[in-house]
Amino acid sequence: MKENIKQGTRSGMIFGIVLIFIILFGLTTTLSDIIGDFLGFNSNSRTGNTGGLMLLFAVIALWAGSRAASFDKFNLKSTLISGASVGLVMGIFVGVFTLLVGTLDAANIEMRDYLVQLNRQSIQFLLYGRSLWTGTLISFGILLVFAILGGLLAYFLEEWKAGDKIQKRYILIKGKVLDSDLAQRYQNNPRSRWISYGILLVIVFLIPQFLGKYWNYAMGTVGIYVLMGLGLNIVVGLAGLLDLGYVAFFAIGAYTAGLLTAPAPLPLQIGFWPVLIFSIIMAAFAGILLGIPVLRMRGDYLAIVTLGFGEIIRVLIRSDMLAPYVGGPQGIRDIAGPSLFGILFNEKAYLYLIICAILLIILFTNYLQNSRVGRAWMAMREDETVAQAMGINTLYYKLMAFATGAAFAGLGGALFAARNQYTGPADHTLMVSINVLSLLIVGGMGSIPGVIVGAFVLKGLPEILRELDLYRLLVFGGLLVLMMIIRPEGIWPAPRRMMELHDKVDGVPPEDSLVGEEG
Amino acid sequence: MSILETRGVTKRFGGLSAVDNVTIQVPEGSIYAIIGPNGAGKTTLYNCITGFYPSDEGEMLFQGESLVGLSPDRITKKGISRTYQNIRLFPAMTALENILVGAHPQLKSNWFDAILHTPRQRAEEKKALEDAQDLLNFVGLKGKGDLFASGLPYGEQRRLEMARALANKPKIILLDEPTAGMNPNESVTMMRFIESLRDELGITILLIEHDMKVVMGISEFIYVLDFGQLIAKGTPGEIQKNSQVIESYLGRGAA
Amino acid sequence: MSETKTKKTTGRINSFKIVQAIISVLFLAFLGWRLYTVIESGVYGPDTWVRFALSGLIIGSVYAVIAIGYTLVYGILFMINFAHGEIMMLGAFSGYFVFEALKSIPIESTGMSFLDSYQIISVVLAFIAGMFMAALSGYFLEKIAYRPLRGAPRLIPLISAIGASIFLQNAAQVTFGPQRRTYTNPTTLMRSQGWRIPIGGEEVIVTYTGVLTFVLSILLLIGLYTLVMRTRYGRSMRAVAEDKQTAALMGINVDQIISNTFIISGALGGAAGVMWGIHNGIIYHFVGFIPGLKAFTAAVLGGIGNIPGAMVGGLLLGIVESLGPAALGIDFQLKDVIAFSILVLILIFRPSGIVGEILTEEKV
Repeated sequence: MKENIKQGTRSGMIFGIVLIFIILFGLTTTLSDIIGDFLGFNSNSRTGNTGGLMLLFAVIALWAGSRAASFDKFNLKSTLISGASVGLVMGIFVGVFTLLVGTLDAANIEMRDYLVQLNRQSIQFLLYGRSLWTGTLISFGILLVFAILGGLLAYFLEEWKAGDKIQKRYILIKGKVLDSDLAQRYQNNPRSRWISYGILLVIVFLIPQFLGKYWNYAMGTVGIYVLMGLGLNIVVGLAGLLDLGYVAFFAIGAYTAGLLTAPAPLPLQIGFWPVLIFSIIMAAFAGILLGIPVLRMRGDYLAIVTLGFGEIIRVLIRSDMLAPYVGGPQGIRDIAGPSLFGILFNEKAYLYLIICAILLIILFTNYLQNSRVGRAWMAMREDETVAQAMGINTLYYKLMAFATGAAFAGLGGALFAARNQYTGPADHTLMVSINVLSLLIVGGMGSIPGVIVGAFVLKGLPEILRELDLYRLLVFGGLLVLMMIIRPEGIWPAPRRMMELHDKVDGVPPEDSLVGEEG
Repeated sequence: MSILETRGVTKRFGGLSAVDNVTIQVPEGSIYAIIGPNGAGKTTLYNCITGFYPSDEGEMLFQGESLVGLSPDRITKKGISRTYQNIRLFPAMTALENILVGAHPQLKSNWFDAILHTPRQRAEEKKALEDAQDLLNFVGLKGKGDLFASGLPYGEQRRLEMARALANKPKIILLDEPTAGMNPNESVTMMRFIESLRDELGITILLIEHDMKVVMGISEFIYVLDFGQLIAKGTPGEIQKNSQVIESYLGRGAA
Repeated sequence: MSETKTKKTTGRINSFKIVQAIISVLFLAFLGWRLYTVIESGVYGPDTWVRFALSGLIIGSVYAVIAIGYTLVYGILFMINFAHGEIMMLGAFSGYFVFEALKSIPIESTGMSFLDSYQIISVVLAFIAGMFMAALSGYFLEKIAYRPLRGAPRLIPLISAIGASIFLQNAAQVTFGPQRRTYTNPTTLMRSQGWRIPIGGEEVIVTYTGVLTFVLSILLLIGLYTLVMRTRYGRSMRAVAEDKQTAALMGINVDQIISNTFIISGALGGAAGVMWGIHNGIIYHFVGFIPGLKAFTAAVLGGIGNIPGAMVGGLLLGIVESLGPAALGIDFQLKDVIAFSILVLILIFRPSGIVGEILTEEKV
C-alpha cells in the first residue's frame, strides 16, 4: 500500500506540474474553448467556457488516475489508493497555484507583465467565475474524484481484458478478414496493386476540383513540402547524410526563378518553363558545390556545417551588400508564372502542376531506390566503410545524393516562388529546413507514403487547427521529442526502418574501424 | 607469377608496428594461408592491402600493378574481394540486395539510366538479379533472397558474405577467419567450398585462419606472422615442424 | 627479403592536401590585402579598433562560457545539445525576474529599491537564480528528452534536441510573451558606464558590465577546469567520457554523472544568460538561438571536448566577429556570416580544432 501511495504521489506531482504549465501557457483557456464549442456547452460570455475547463481537468485526472493505477491493476483497493494519491497531489498542486494566483489577482497585483497569460480574465476563468475558495475547491474536487474514477476505470478495463474476450474477438475478426478469399486474391494478384494506384490517382486528380481557392493554395503548399520531403529523403533517408541546410537549395531554386523572370533587380524576363528547368539545374549544381567540402565529415558535424551553409545563404540574400543583385530584405516581386496555351495559372492549376511534379518525382525516386545507385546509397548508409570496400565510390555517390536532393528542392523553390509571384529572405529560414526534416522523421523516413503523411501532418494540420496557431510551434517541438521517444521510425516508415530501430541486429555492429581482434 | 605481392609492408600505429616489413607472394590459382597468434597483425595486413589503412612503408602489387595509395573502391574494382572477421553485412538490406551491392563494380548503369529507367538499365538489372540468385544458390541459400541479412543465422550470414564477395567476380578473395564459430562438420563443408572456388571458378584464395585443421587441410603454402613480423613461411608440413612457430603459439598461450 | 623501400602514399589523399594548402594561402593573402586596404584608408581610428576589440573580448567570453556547456555535454554523450541556447535563455529570464522583483521592494532606510540599496547581493541573487533555474532545466531536459534515447542512432537524439529547443523557445514565448524585455541593472552597474580611457585622441569606455562579464567568465572557466582536471569527481567525469562501460565497471554511477554534467552545463549556460542580460540588456524568447550556434562554433573551433579550447575558441570567435567586418571592409550585417563561415572552414580543414580534440574519434 505504501508503494501505491509513493507511485501515486510521484505521478501526481508530475501531472500537477504539467497542469500548472498548461495554465501558464494559456492552453487551458484555448483547450476549454475548443472542448466547449465542440460539445455545444453554453459559453458564459464573461468568463469563457468553464464547462470545458471542468471537462478538461476531468479528462486529465481520469487519465492520470488510470495510469497511476496501471502498475498494480488487479487489486481494487490498491487502484483506489493510487487514484486517490494521484488526485490528491494533483489537486494540491493545482489548488495551491490557483489560490496563489487568485490571491495576487484579488490584491490587484499585475502578473501579466511577466506571465502574459495570467490576466484578470483568465484567472477569473480558472476560478470558474466564482469566489477564490469556491473555484479552487471545484478544481481540487474534480481532480481528486476523477483520478479515483480513473483508477477504477483501469481496474475494470483490466478485468475485462483479462477475460480475454476482447482480445480473442479481435484476433478472430482480423484473421477472418485477412484470410478471406477476397483479401487473398487481392494480395496475390499484382494487378490489384495497379488498380488501387489507379483509383488513388483518380481521386487525387479530382480533389482540386472540389476545393476552394484557399484550400487549393494550402494543399499546394503541402504538395511543395512533399516534393522537398522526397528530395531530403534521398539525402537523409537513402544516403544517410544529415542535411540541416536544405533550405539553401530551395532558396536557390526560388531565387533563380525569381531573378530570371522578374523585371527587377535583373531585367531578364525569360519564360517560365525554361527557367524552371534552369532552376533545377542550378540547384543541383549548388548541391554539388556545397557537397564537396562536407564529403569527409562525420555525422553531426555534417549537420552543423549544412546548417551553417543554409544560414549563410539566408544572410547573404538578405544583406544590403548584395541587394542590388538579389533584392535584399524586400525580396523579388512580380515573378512570372507559367502559362499553358496563353492562360495564366490560378491556384487550382498550380495544384495540378504540383501534383504532376510530385508524381514524377515519386516515379524517379522509386526508380532510383531500386537501382544500382539506390543500393549504393543504402549500403553507404548502413556501413560506409564496407560499402567503399564493395567498390562504391563514396565521394561520388554522396555528391550525387546531394545533387539529386538539391534538384528536387530547387523544383519546389521555383514553383513556390512562381505561385506566390514573390520570394524573399523570410521564405528561406532555418525553420524550413527543420520543417522538411521533421516531416520526414514524423512521417517515416525512407518511405514515400510516409513523406506524404508527414507533409500533411506538419503542414496540413495547422491549417485545420487554426485556433491553436499560437501553440503551433510549441506542439511541434513537443511532438518531435515525443515521436523520437515512442516511435522514432515515424508514422508510416519503410519496413526496413522499423526493423532497424526496433530489433537488435545480430552480429553486425556498425563500427568505424575494421580492426577485429588484431592489430 | 604472383597475382598478389607485398614487399616490406609496414604499418605503424603511434609507436607500435602492427605490420612490420612483411613480404608475401601469392601465386595465381593457389590457396595460401596466413596464420599467427591474436594481435599478430593479420587483419591489419588485409586492411593495408585493401586500402583501408595507408601503409607507411613498402609496396603492394596486384597483377603487377601497385595498390599503394589507391582508395578501397578502386582496389576492389581491380578484382580483389574480402570477407570480414566479424561479418559485416548490411543488416537492413535483404540477402539479395547485399549480393547486388557486391556486384556493384560489375554493373555499368549510372544515375541517368537509373532515374529514367532506360531499357539498358532494365536489362542489366534483370541479369544482375539472375546472377545474384545463382550466387545465392551456389552458397546454399536458395529461397532466402528476400530475408533481411540481420535475420539470418550465423552460418548463413557467413555464406551470404561469401556470396557477396563473389559477386564482384574477383580474381582473388581475402578470407578472414571463414570458419570462425563453426563446428567441425561445417568447417569441412567450408573447406570443400573454398576449394571449389579455386577449382571451379579459378579464384585465388588467401585466408587468415585459426583452425589448424582447415589451414593444414587446404592451403598449399603458409605464412606465419607474429608481432607484425613474418616469422616463418613454408608448406604445411614444414610449418608444423617449425619450432619458432610452435613457440609463438604455445609460448603466448594463444587460441 | 627485399630491402625496405620508403614509399609515401601517393594519390588522391595527397592532392587533397595540396589543394587545401593552395586555397588557404590564397585565402589568407586575400584577407591580408583587404586588411591592408582598410587600415591604409584610415576609415577607422585606433580608438574604434580598440572598441571593437574590447566588445569582441567581452562577447567572446560569453560565447566561451556557453561553449564550455556544449563541450561538456558533447564530451560525455557525443551529442550536440541543441537546446543549450534555450537553457541560457531561461537563465537570462530568471535573472531578469529577480532584478524586477528586487526593483519593486522599497527599502525605507535608503529610500531606494532593494536592487539599488544592496547591489552586490542583488547581482549575486540574480546569478544564483539564473544558474539554478538553468541547471534545473538542464537536468529535466536530459531526463525527459535525451535519456530515453541513450542507445539510439545519432540522428534520433539530435532531432529530439531540435524539438526540445523549439519547444523551450516557444514555451518561453507563450508564457512570457514575445516582447523584448530590458534588464534594469543596479545603478552602479548601468550599461555603458565604465572607466574612460583616452586612446588616439578619443575616449574609449571600458564598461563595468563588460569587465564583470569577462572576469566572471575567467573565474568560471578556472573553476570548471579545476573541477574536471583536479578533483576526484572530475576524474570520474572524464572516465565516463572515455568509456562508459568500463567506468560503470569501476563502480561509477554513470547515469548520475551524466545528469550532473547537464546540471553543470546548465548552470554555466544560466550564468552566461545573466551576463548577457546585464551587459546587452535585451532578452526575449529567441535570445539563446544565435549565441548558442556561435558558441557551438567556438567549441568546435577550440576542439570539441576540450575545456580550455572552448575558452580560446570563444574569445577568438568574439574578436574575429567583432573586428572582422571592419577589417574586411564589409557590411556589419554580415557579422553572422563570418561566424558561420569560420565554423564551416574549421570543420572542413581542421575538425579537431585549434587547441586540439581531447577526445579521439567516436568510440561508440
